[in-house]
This record gives sequence, structure tokens and C-alpha cells, in this order.
Amino acid sequence: MPKTVLSVDDSPSIRQAVKLTLGSKGYVVREADGGKQALQICAAEPVHLVITDLNMPEMDGIELIRHIRALSAHRFTPILMLTTESQADKKSQGKAAGATGWIVKPFTPDQLVAVVQRVLPPG
Amino acid sequence: MDQIALMKIFVSESEDLLANLEQGLMSLEADTADDEVIHMIFRVAHTLKGNAGITGIDAIVSFAHVMEGVLDRVRSHALPVSHELITLLLNAGDVLKEMVSAAAAGAVVTLTEEHQLVLDRFAPFAGDGAAKAEAGADATSPRAPSGPSVFAIDMRFREDIFATGQDPALLLQELGALGEVLQIQTDVSRLPPLDQAEATRCYLSWRMLLSTNASRSDLEAVFLFVMEDNEIRIEDVTKSFAGRREAQAADKKLGELLVEQGVVQQADVLEVVSAQRKVGELLIEAGKVKRDELNKVLAKQEAARRVRQNSSIRVDTDKLDGLVNLVGELVICVAQVNQNARDAAATHEARIAAAEVLVQISRDLQDQAMSLRMVPVRETFDRFKRAARDVAEQLGKFVIVEATGIETELDKNVIEQLADPLKHMIRNCISHGIESPAERIAAGKSDTGRVFLRAAQREGRIIIEVADDGRGVDPERVLAKARELGLVPPGKTLSEREIYELLFAPGFSTAAQVNEISGRGVGLDVVKRNVQELRGTVEIESELGKGTTFRIRLPLTLAIIDGMTAKVGPETVTIPLLAVIELIEPAAGVIKTVAGKGELVDVRGELLPMVRLSDVFDFPRADPKTVESKVVVVENQGRKFGVMVDRVLGMEQAVIKPLDRSFALFSRLDGRYERPEGIAGATILGDGSIGLILDVHGIERMAFGGDRDPRDTREARAGRDARDGRVGAAA
Repeated sequence: MPKTVLSVDDSPSIRQAVKLTLGSKGYVVREADGGKQALQICAAEPVHLVITDLNMPEMDGIELIRHIRALSAHRFTPILMLTTESQADKKSQGKAAGATGWIVKPFTPDQLVAVVQRVLPPG
Repeated sequence: MDQIALMKIFVSESEDLLANLEQGLMSLEADTADDEVIHMIFRVAHTLKGNAGITGIDAIVSFAHVMEGVLDRVRSHALPVSHELITLLLNAGDVLKEMVSAAAAGAVVTLTEEHQLVLDRFAPFAGDGAAKAEAGADATSPRAPSGPSVFAIDMRFREDIFATGQDPALLLQELGALGEVLQIQTDVSRLPPLDQAEATRCYLSWRMLLSTNASRSDLEAVFLFVMEDNEIRIEDVTKSFAGRREAQAADKKLGELLVEQGVVQQADVLEVVSAQRKVGELLIEAGKVKRDELNKVLAKQEAARRVRQNSSIRVDTDKLDGLVNLVGELVICVAQVNQNARDAAATHEARIAAAEVLVQISRDLQDQAMSLRMVPVRETFDRFKRAARDVAEQLGKFVIVEATGIETELDKNVIEQLADPLKHMIRNCISHGIESPAERIAAGKSDTGRVFLRAAQREGRIIIEVADDGRGVDPERVLAKARELGLVPPGKTLSEREIYELLFAPGFSTAAQVNEISGRGVGLDVVKRNVQELRGTVEIESELGKGTTFRIRLPLTLAIIDGMTAKVGPETVTIPLLAVIELIEPAAGVIKTVAGKGELVDVRGELLPMVRLSDVFDFPRADPKTVESKVVVVENQGRKFGVMVDRVLGMEQAVIKPLDRSFALFSRLDGRYERPEGIAGATILGDGSIGLILDVHGIERMAFGGDRDPRDTREARAGRDARDGRVGAAA
């Protein structure tokens, strides 16, 4: 059964890139434009991995991670955050909130695939 | 590009790279500080590794990787160039050659135990910074696969690791996918009593021994997200692991262990091992195979090797262009000759002119075609450099080979046939000529002996010299030995040159002990015979304490000789000009008869033995009135004698045609066909008839018997006595 990845980003182009890249590797990719929509999807559908941006209007990524971890279905679901090199403090905040790992922007499709496969081998 | 084409390119490039490596190493030995060469050698290992990576030959990648690492240290002057290191790198080059030819043959290239042994010898040169260097190297080439290393990985995860979405099982799987898990130990000490354990917590720790081509940073990447918060230790234990394996003495060869334990010297082991008889000999002894069967198979093997080695020749494109141009001219000229022949109006002069042009073109064509077969001696000399080094190594001597005149061109066949004699002379120089380092120092010389390989073209001949700066040949000792062997009758005095000539006598050896390197029945007599087969000569010059020089003189090409044609009875013979010294008019008093039998020719006071060719070949003696007899003074290995012919016709270039088997004589002695003595071959003369090419050496044997100095024959002795004034010359 294919694994479902939830891509959370307010930028459609990032979501599109994630979708194309991981879609070609056999993952099913769901999209959310912010924390609120993401939490809805997580509550209602099977999600095996969450990739979320940190800087988003409404709810920021750290907060989203905390909320997802609070859902009993997602206590152990891997969550990756998109960071930039300068966000060292965000990285530790994210880890404290329960993030599994991070992807430093900018990243190439190959790098994305490598990190995703590390925490969620394709089904 | 398909895989086969890729492999071909890889093999051919690798062969060139490895040849460069060997040459580089040889020149490095002469000048250990040559940075340019060091860089070149490093690049060879580096390029080879990269190429093998793309081609997918992991064994070469890992082997070249280790070399590259050590060479990198040499490059950065962290490691000095030593004799031992060069030896090791040469050996490593051999291993790579083996691997490349295995790849060329389509075999799967694996790292055998023997290869591993060579690899292990790099350990002392790798330096303690090897691990650091490796990590550093990865920063610049993160994707470069590294040698198979063994890592010990300790993983002690936080109990709440699952709460971060991590799964240790995934990490273990990922590690396993990077290589071979040699061992995995699970530490359950943190596991609480089951009733207190929570299924969502991680209580286990692991220690994994992983053999992998991946680098340390590849492993660290696996732990990217857990490195900081968990206890992860990665340790490169390749060396201690290898050490442990080495300790398993059962895997090692006895000889190595003995050397390691200091019981015997490496050289001793090599000596004994090299003295070991070949498989074939052992099989014969055990009665498992008959000698002639073995010989047949060996001949096949040899032929196969030859085919593989000699199937092609590289020709300078200039030479080919010249050849094509000449063919173009030939076509035009032939058309003109053809037209003249049919045109009744063509003048005699026009016909002659066209014919002359044709002669000129065909001569040029001949030269040009022959030049295609000419190759520089460079490659052959390079090969010997390596062989010389190996021999020196076995004997515990230091030798540097210096080659000069490497661009001198020789007929390809000559070079091939010369390889064995040259190798033998080089071995002779090293094993008998060059002294041990201690002896050399005692003699006030540098501890490193020199062997010189020189090639030059002089006076229409190729001169090849193999020389050393060793102890030289002691004529007294040679003479004593020769007397002992009965080669020289007691009381007979010999010139120094004649004494050196004795070294080429069959069965002669001054070496106190016959050893594998040079000796064992194959002596300089074989060298001499091989060179003579090439219509060349070989001589020795030596100065006690200073060194010895072997000098080979060869005709430029095998197939064509300059000859003097002469009539003898009904036959036309060609005497190779190489052997001809002068022509003597047999005026009254020039030819003297001694003791009613032998004839001598008086060459301006020098009395030389003389033979009538018609006698040698049993032709009826021509009527003295109808012939214009001449005496051709010829030389064979420094010995002059006269050959009387009925008439000299002139000089002519003769294309040698080997005599067909029907001309040859069957020798019952060794079951082979031999060419008739005194005849080197046949040639087709200008008038279409067949001429015989004389073998001066053979004539000498036939006329004066044995392989002896002609001065030793009765006639010659008489001549010498006459010269010395003891006997009056007879009329």
C-alpha cells in the first residue's frame, strides 16, 4: 500500500515540487496550505509522514508539530520540517516539539527523496 | 554507451595508466624528490579509482583507493618515498594489471586473498591520520566510494526516541543496506522487568560491526537526525580488525609467518620459493604427464601468449602517409612504363628514364615499407627496467637502470627475438656484475649499482649495450675455470678478448653457485646463439672493478641485407656485407700452402686462414684460366679468414627468403629440421635466378671445424707460427 505524505506549505510552488518529486517515487502526496487544513487531514485520513514549513501565517510550523504529536494516531508519525541554515534555534524548538528531522532549504529533489526515504521507506 | 564499449575504453585507458604508473615509479626511484612524477602517480591511482567506479568494478575501486590514500600522503610530503614503498606500489600495480585483464576477459573482478595481502602491506604507510584523512577526503568527494572498512557502531538511543517519529529499526536496516553486518550485539541491560516496560519506549542498545565501502560520513548521514540527542559512536576498526584477522595464523602462508617472526629473511623465502619447480616438472616426475605432452601444451600456451602480445603494431601516421604517396607515384610510373612498352615510337631513352624512375620508387617503397616494422626500443627497455628491479630485489641488491637511445628504432621481429637475450644479459649483470651493497661500499662505490641499457644506430647497424658498473669480469678467473672445464688446453695463452669470448661457450659459468636468476643451464651461449640467429654479434668488454659491457651489433632489418654477390662453380652466392672486410686479388705469392693442406692468404703481411668455397660446398673447382678468383676477407666474431670465390659480381641488396623445409636437413639428434650449414637463406637475384646467402659463421665451422677459434686449427697455428717467424712460409 502506498504511503501518504502530507505536504504543508503556504507556497503552492513548494507543495507542487514536493508532490511531483515524491509522487514519482511512489508516495501519495496530500497538500495543505496551512496548519489548520493540515490538522483536519491528519485527523481524518491516513498520513504516514508530514513535511511542514516553519514560517507560515496563521499557525507556524512548530505549533503544528505540537498539535500533530498530540493526536494519538500520530504519536510516532515522522514529521520533517523545512528550515534554512540560519534557523538553528528553530531546529531545536522543532525537535523539542517532536519533529523527527529537517530538510534545509534550498534542496534538490534528490535530497528530498533521500531524507524522506530515510524516515519512511516507500511501501 | 553500452556496457561493452565502456569496458573496452576502461581497459585500454587503464593499461596506459598502469604503464605510466610503472614508468613513474621507476623514475621516482632514480629521483625520489620529483614532485611532478609523484603527482602523476597520484593522478593515476585517482583516475583509475574514478574510472573503475563508473565502470562498476568495485575491487579496483577499493584497491586504488588505498593506493591513492598513501600516495596522497607522499604528495603532501607526509610520507617519504622509500625503496620499500616503491616495491609495494609496483606490486600493487601488478595486482591492478591483473584485475584489469580479468575485466578485459569479461571475468568478475574480485579482491582475492592475495590481493588483500598486498593491500595489507599498505597499512604501515597509511599513517595514523588515515581515518581523519578519509573523513577529510569525503568533504571534497562525498560520493567517492572508499575501501572496505570495518566500523564499530554503538547506538544507545533515548528511551523516548519513538516520540520523535524515529524508528531505530529503520536505522539498523539502513546501516545493513550500506554493507555487510559482520556482527550485531543487542544490549538489554536497560530493559526493565516486563510489567514495568512500556511498549512505546526504547530500552535496547546495539553494537554493530559493519564492513562497508561507505565512508564515515555516509554512516553519520544515517544518524543525521538522532546524532545530537542520542549516544551514537562510530569507530573505524578496520586496522585492528585486520590485525585480528592476521592473528589467525591459519590463514597465512608459512613463509610470511616465518619472516614476521624473524626466523628467516624475506629474500631467503623468495629464493626457496623461486627455486621451486614448476607444476609441469612436478607432474612429469609424478608420472602424471609425459614430457612431450607437456611440451605440446606449453607450446600452445606460448603461442597463445604471443598472439595476444604481438597482434598489432603502432605505426606513425607520417610513415603511412609517405607509403601512400609512394604508391601514388608508383601507379603513375607504371602507367608510363606500360605506355612506353606499347608505343613503338617511344625512344630508347624514354624507356630507360621510366625504368629508372621505377627502380627509384620501388627502392623508396621498400625502405618505407620496412620502416613500418621499425619500433623504438623504448617500450622494451621500460619492461626491462622493471624486470631488473625485480631481480635486484630478490638478490637484496640496489640497482638503478639507466636507458639511453630509447628512440632508436628496431625491426619489430628483432626486438621480440632480442627480448630473451637482453633479459638474460641484464640478469647476468645484476646477479654476477653488481656487487652487494656492502661490497660496493667497501669498494668505495655507491651502494646502488647501475645497469645501463643503451641503443644506438651506427654505421648501418644497431648497437645495443647492456652494461653495469659492478665488479667486472676477472680474466684470470675465467681462464682458470675454462681450463678446469677443458675448454682451453693447458699452456695455451689467450688474449683478453678471447678469454671473454669463453664466457659464451656452452656450459660455462663462473658463478660459484647456479641460481635461479641467471644460470640453471641457460647460459650466455644461448644469448650468443639467439643474437647470431638475428645475424648479429655479441661481445663482452670488461674492466676489473669498474664494470662489464655486453655489446650486441645487429643489422638494421632482418629481411633485407646488403650483400656481395659472387660466383662459385655453378652457383651465385651472396656474402653479407656486414661480414666482409676487404677483397684481395690472389696475385702470385698471396696464397700460401702450409704442410700440403691448409691454405693461407697473406693480407699485407697478416696471414689468415683461407678456404675455397667450392671445396666447402663440394663444387668442382673451376678452371683457373676461366675464372677471376678473388679472396673475400670476412670476419666472424673478431676472427678473420679468407673465402675464395670464382668471380665477384657486385653489390646487391638481397631480400632473404627462408629456406623451405625441403632444403632443410632432418637432424636425428633433436628431431628438428635444420637449415644446411653455411647457408643462411636464399634470395631471388635480378635475373630471376636463385642465389644462396652465405652464413659466415657456418662456413667457418665447416672449413675449420667445431666452434673453435680458426687460429686453433692446424693451418691457423701454422699461420700464427709463420707470422711469429718460427716457420718459413711455404710457397
